[in-house]
Amino acid sequence: MSVSPPAALQTQNLVLGYQRTTIIDQLNASIPHGQVTAIIGPNGCGKSTLLAGLAKLHPAKQGHILLDGRDIARLSPREMAQSLALLPQDGVAPDGMTVADLVRFGRHPHTGLLRQWSKDDQQAVVEAIATADLSSMADRPLTTLSGGQRQRAWIAMALAQATPLLLLDEPTAALDLGHQIEVFELIRQLSAEGKTVVMVVHDLASACRYADHLIAMHNGSIIAAGQPKTIVTPELIHQLYGVHCHLIPDPISGTPVIVGVQRSIEHRA
Amino acid sequence: MDRLSMTSTTSASSDLLAPATFNGRPAGLWLLRFGRFSLLLDRRAWLASLLLLLATIVLIGLSLGSGTVKIAPFDALAALFNQGETKTIFIVRDLRLTRVLGGGMAGAALGMAGCLLQTLSRNRLANPDTIGIDNAATAFAVASVVGVSTTLAPSAMALTGAITMLSLTFALSGGAGTRGYRFLITGLGLGAICGAATNLMLARAPIDAANTAFPWTVGSLNNRSGVVVTLLAWGVVVMLPLATIVGKRLNLVRLPDAVAQSLGVRVNRLRFFTIVLAGSLTGLAVAVAGPVGMIGLAAPELGRRLAGPRTVPIIPAALAGACFTMLADLLGRTLFSPTEIPVGIVTALVGGPYLLWFLLRTPRGKQL
Amino acid sequence: MATTFLSRRMLIGVLAALGLLAIVVLLSLGIGSDNAIGFAQVLAVLQGAGDDQARMTVLDLRVPRTIIGCFVGVALGSAGALLQSAARNPLAEPGLLGVSAGSATAVVISIALGASLDNLQVWIAIVGALLGCSVALGVARMSGLGDDPIRLVLAGAALSSMLAAVSSVILLTDQRTADEVRFWTIGAIAGRNLSSIRPAIPVLLLGLAVALLLARPLAALALGEKVASGLGQRPKLVRTGVMISVALLVGSATAMAGPIGFVGLVVPIAARAIVGPDIRRALIVAVLLGPSFVLLADVLSRIVARPTETPLGVISALIGAPILVLIVRSQRLPAL
Repeated sequence: MSVSPPAALQTQNLVLGYQRTTIIDQLNASIPHGQVTAIIGPNGCGKSTLLAGLAKLHPAKQGHILLDGRDIARLSPREMAQSLALLPQDGVAPDGMTVADLVRFGRHPHTGLLRQWSKDDQQAVVEAIATADLSSMADRPLTTLSGGQRQRAWIAMALAQATPLLLLDEPTAALDLGHQIEVFELIRQLSAEGKTVVMVVHDLASACRYADHLIAMHNGSIIAAGQPKTIVTPELIHQLYGVHCHLIPDPISGTPVIVGVQRSIEHRA
Repeated sequence: MDRLSMTSTTSASSDLLAPATFNGRPAGLWLLRFGRFSLLLDRRAWLASLLLLLATIVLIGLSLGSGTVKIAPFDALAALFNQGETKTIFIVRDLRLTRVLGGGMAGAALGMAGCLLQTLSRNRLANPDTIGIDNAATAFAVASVVGVSTTLAPSAMALTGAITMLSLTFALSGGAGTRGYRFLITGLGLGAICGAATNLMLARAPIDAANTAFPWTVGSLNNRSGVVVTLLAWGVVVMLPLATIVGKRLNLVRLPDAVAQSLGVRVNRLRFFTIVLAGSLTGLAVAVAGPVGMIGLAAPELGRRLAGPRTVPIIPAALAGACFTMLADLLGRTLFSPTEIPVGIVTALVGGPYLLWFLLRTPRGKQL
Repeated sequence: MATTFLSRRMLIGVLAALGLLAIVVLLSLGIGSDNAIGFAQVLAVLQGAGDDQARMTVLDLRVPRTIIGCFVGVALGSAGALLQSAARNPLAEPGLLGVSAGSATAVVISIALGASLDNLQVWIAIVGALLGCSVALGVARMSGLGDDPIRLVLAGAALSSMLAAVSSVILLTDQRTADEVRFWTIGAIAGRNLSSIRPAIPVLLLGLAVALLLARPLAALALGEKVASGLGQRPKLVRTGVMISVALLVGSATAMAGPIGFVGLVVPIAARAIVGPDIRRALIVAVLLGPSFVLLADVLSRIVARPTETPLGVISALIGAPILVLIVRSQRLPAL
């Protein structure tokens, strides 16, 4: 597998699954350094499982995951936590917690029992809150925030973790259009500041517009990977979702937008 | 709200409006720094602990002072440190201290255990009363009273029962399970067997033996063996710091598991430690006091109310548990004196309405 | 609906349950805590022959006991099926949710206040069960419980232990009550005669009738409250009905035999395993399986520690608790 940009995260013949079921089979993927990678695919194709596997939430049944060339199976939880942050889909925060309280959790991998708070910790928290544009609400309880602000607070927590890698599972699920754009633009900004972002995204147009690199998954394996403009074709969409469609370029970003979607005849049969 | 964030970008330089988070330490916390070492202390939790500590001391004084010979609370506390009349010192140290210490420590242990279990399961109903340990302690104690060919003291048997149940629950549940649920329900099931066994023994035993054994089916602090109380006190002293450390970690498990794990917490190992701690604390407490209900449910609740949402309130819960238990015992001893009501009955009678209110009040979807 | 209801699986399930019941009834009549009276003599007695001792043992002891066991099993099995379906929770069981404890505590209180075990007891047990049941379903209604079966159980456990403590208070202070009640609180169907349970029978049958009427609305409710409303059901009414029916069933069973746990847990689970999750079928099969479970436990109670009998409640807990543990150990709790 030829990798043009250096890979921040790479899987080699990765097999993931629960007990006896295999969800991801012999997967070779590579996440380019410093870019936004979106994983797309139909429901149940293994996107979220792959993301969890990359974060070492599921041990690999076979194969390896290399983080900057090191096998993550050999890394301690703390080392993992210092190099990779993950936000799952269901971000339910404990009641009564403020934005700053939540963001402070992100410093856990950098603190210890007798070194609970340093100037670096303080600075990381303040910067993370500022990056997520929540400075004016740092001391507000999370429950009083809007959905988009709350999602940004979770992202700020992951930012405070100060990891080069950020994994997000459907960061815009359950957000309305305005809040989706808020979150996606924050993600672009992070990428511009040098972070590597991997996200699972449902909406294809957003994935094309905000990601530099797409990984299209179907049934636990990758069927295409590369730049959105080059890999997204009506054939790919058909392979992924079983629908016919046309693609037109977005009038502003020039990325592909799907229009005229129809169920294919053979799928109806 | 959009307007708010706009004002923030324009007037971010104004220090007066800046939240406390920007003053070098997180808002609501105290920062202690000694060279390379630093500690973050939650202000509200520490103030709550201080308040509860005062209440505990007052209750210790009152408890040591009340009885057939009345002693002023302050004198009683002084006598604890060998100050005052010899007779008073004798009454306080030799006659009453075991009971008060037993009550306070059992309450502290139950409070801590409840706090650990509730945080672990993210469920305010999880509670050391229902994990079967107290049923086992009761069953063993009753067995020793109604005479299953043993000469062991009921307290020692209760401790044996608690330890047996704890290890059995562990073995059968095969680990904590998600949120510790597997452990909780396994304990519940095994507890049901022990409860049935207790009823069986009470029914089969001659009426006199059954009458002697009955008090062991409710929590009581009357005539507890000093050895077991000492054991409990040491247990609490050792486990309090451990529970505090575990509590700090558990604070992260209040976040979704995936987040806690990606922040470097070994969630499964933490769950295991938590349950070992909570189970041991419960076991020691019931070996001394028998099945005292409601403390493990109510003490963490009060602790949380006072200490606020930032921490897992291990120390406030321990102190609240000690207060509740001593207060219940004090009430039981004095309300209908000379008739004495066991502490377990007081907690059940006071706790019952509280529990009903707790179960049926309008839910606000609180997340621990 | 008729075609789906009378599927082959249902037919087989009903026949199997009936067959099992017949076998267990025979065992219950034929096996005692000693070997004095065997099957041959039982058959002789049932045909009108046999010596006096055999006649007395079979007709005065074993037959009433078997009949009571059947009633108790029907009541607890169907109550469990109803509760599990209404709370959408495989762990919802009258014993675990504190319904039985409510009933038992009410009876203990009434005895302490001077009622004797026979009169009034049914109604008091029902009132207690109703209170326990309303708390249980009140908790179940709380938001966010649907996906978390264990919370309801924890609530029930807390309630049960509180009620047990209240009972203990009374038993500790009231010698007479303690003496009268200590055999009853274990749960047993031995040593009761048919005349003493007679007042409970119509109540039980009424509860069962309500339960059967509720099966269809409950099947709709299984699709979710909103969908059920859309289908023309009234969820509140159904829940109230469930509450009343469960209270009648558990109250009468408790009045007959004392608190017996785990029947309402094991029986509906077995029923669903045989005929699938549809409450309309599961309820029927649970009604038929309940007596088998109770009688089987009762037969075991006679032979486990011969020549003495182990109370039914203990045996039931010994069978039920491991099953509870197994359910929790199986990775995912099945959603109802």
